[in-house]
Amino acid sequence: MTAVLTLGPAVAVRWRRRPVVVCIVALTIVLVTMLVTLSAGRLGIPLSELPGVIAGTGSRAQEWVLWTNRLPRLLVAAAAGAAFAVSGAMFQSVTRNPLGSPDVIGLGAGAAAGAAAAALVWPGLVPVPVGALAGAGLAIGAVYLGSGAGFRAPLRMVVVGIAVGAMSMAFVQLALARATREDAQVVAAYLNGSLAARAWSDVVLIVVALVVLLPVALALTRPMQLVEMGDEVAVAVGVPADRVRTWAVVVGVLLTAAAVTVSGPIAFVALTAPQIARRLTRSTGPGMVAAACCGAAVLVVADLVAQYAVPGIVYPVGVVTAALGGVYLAFLLVREWRRSPA
Amino acid sequence: MNGPPLEAEGLTLAYDQLVVAQDLSVQIPRASFTVIIGPNGCGKSTLLRALGRTLKPRAGRVLLDGEPIAALRSKDVARRLALLPQSPVAPESITVGDLVARGRYPHQGILRQWSAADARAVADALDATEVADLRDRYVAELSGGQRQRVWLAMALAQQTDLLLLDEPTTFLDIAHQFEVMDLCARLHEEGRTLVAVLHDLNQAARYATHLVAMKAGVVVAEGPPSDVVTEPLVREVFGLACRVVPDPETGTPMVVPARRDAHVRHLP
Repeated sequence: MTAVLTLGPAVAVRWRRRPVVVCIVALTIVLVTMLVTLSAGRLGIPLSELPGVIAGTGSRAQEWVLWTNRLPRLLVAAAAGAAFAVSGAMFQSVTRNPLGSPDVIGLGAGAAAGAAAAALVWPGLVPVPVGALAGAGLAIGAVYLGSGAGFRAPLRMVVVGIAVGAMSMAFVQLALARATREDAQVVAAYLNGSLAARAWSDVVLIVVALVVLLPVALALTRPMQLVEMGDEVAVAVGVPADRVRTWAVVVGVLLTAAAVTVSGPIAFVALTAPQIARRLTRSTGPGMVAAACCGAAVLVVADLVAQYAVPGIVYPVGVVTAALGGVYLAFLLVREWRRSPA
Repeated sequence: MNGPPLEAEGLTLAYDQLVVAQDLSVQIPRASFTVIIGPNGCGKSTLLRALGRTLKPRAGRVLLDGEPIAALRSKDVARRLALLPQSPVAPESITVGDLVARGRYPHQGILRQWSAADARAVADALDATEVADLRDRYVAELSGGQRQRVWLAMALAQQTDLLLLDEPTTFLDIAHQFEVMDLCARLHEEGRTLVAVLHDLNQAARYATHLVAMKAGVVVAEGPPSDVVTEPLVREVFGLACRVVPDPETGTPMVVPARRDAHVRHLP
């Protein structure tokens, strides 16, 4: 089912119905889950009172819950989920491998190490987001050099990335061990991937990152589709494969760094969400918008589960995504194992 | 434009440390069906890759209509020159129509992603390769011969005058090989310039209008098949003792390897 959407002579975009439906469903899930999260728990705002609180006629406690406590957190969850997912879609496309997502190839861990360095080891030297970006940049640089063939050797990128991720996490542990107990506790929670106590500054950071980078990701989608078919096919139809890969990696690194800055290296959203989107849309290439919608849905739902699944205990959201994503990762590894001749 | 549409000038071709050819020059005659032949490892596919700018030469340059191909914009080149690699990989669960439509990329923009001209070019390409009725089938479920025609259709959708084919008949059974070669001959008759790498000497001699024989990175002979495919040349280039007789179907030169005992005697 393909149709062409035209806007005057300059714009003509082909689209299929299925991805559009998937996006609408995913966004509906995001919205419904947000409403449920807002109304859940002891401090929850009943849905009937929500319009009043938004209009400013609620109690002061309710206003605090909405504007300070829960809404920033929900918006960060949705936007960071989208950023992780788009970053994952780009890296999985570059590595031509569902395992090649930024959290598996050490990018999330690198960003976390950078954040830990900025927060604990050399506090005040650079802002934490800059530290996260530098960490992610260093990690991808190490993967680039370590694979021996840059970004052209997908499987080696994955293997080297796992090593880079392990080293980054070791650095994080070192930073935590050196820190005072109070500092360390805050950072440890953050490093699990946590959405607790998000502020509006976090919302602004991640939303700006998405607004700037998502269009670039969209512009890269079609060239990346062709690069997935091999460099020779891509070059034959006029796609500069190396340049497209470089751009995809830059956008992916920036998105991961932004998302890690506001939420910590939440595990496996980048791994799972793009694949969920790809399966649901039955598309034959990376679909950035669908991935973003699915990523937002995954993280918002995971956050709800983390807070209310076990009464009385609030888990960091990263624990939930790690548990779910771990199962999926195992499934991928087993499938890969079966596919390759023993 | 009267000069060669595609030309290599003093190419040095290498993979990492392995130098495949040095100071290699070759001209592709306009409107020819040029076939490059030679033994395994002689650099014929490497030369084709350099001509199709999927391999950067270490030295020398490739000229497209007299202009250095490396200086041209990638999309501009792709509107003038199409290339079918040796074993391209189709994405999972892509349909024939969608795959062929991807050949339209060089004619499209970021926002103008589809036009009536695109639809027409795809339909024409599907017709020319006789795969129009496979349009909604998945590429993965096609036979080898069908799949190769679909890839050819994708290259044709680029609507270029120049078409480069890297061993288009490899992995096909004999009937499908000739089906693909007949299709290439028709594309050539319609006015395109074709350059192909082929393994089978008799096929090369039958279909080519211009042959380039290579050995160890050097062009040993070039010209019409009747001049190039001779007993001494086949022995020199392939190390094969043989007789060359007229093909009973077409009259083009046909290589018949010598009997085993003769074979042993003739080898240097």
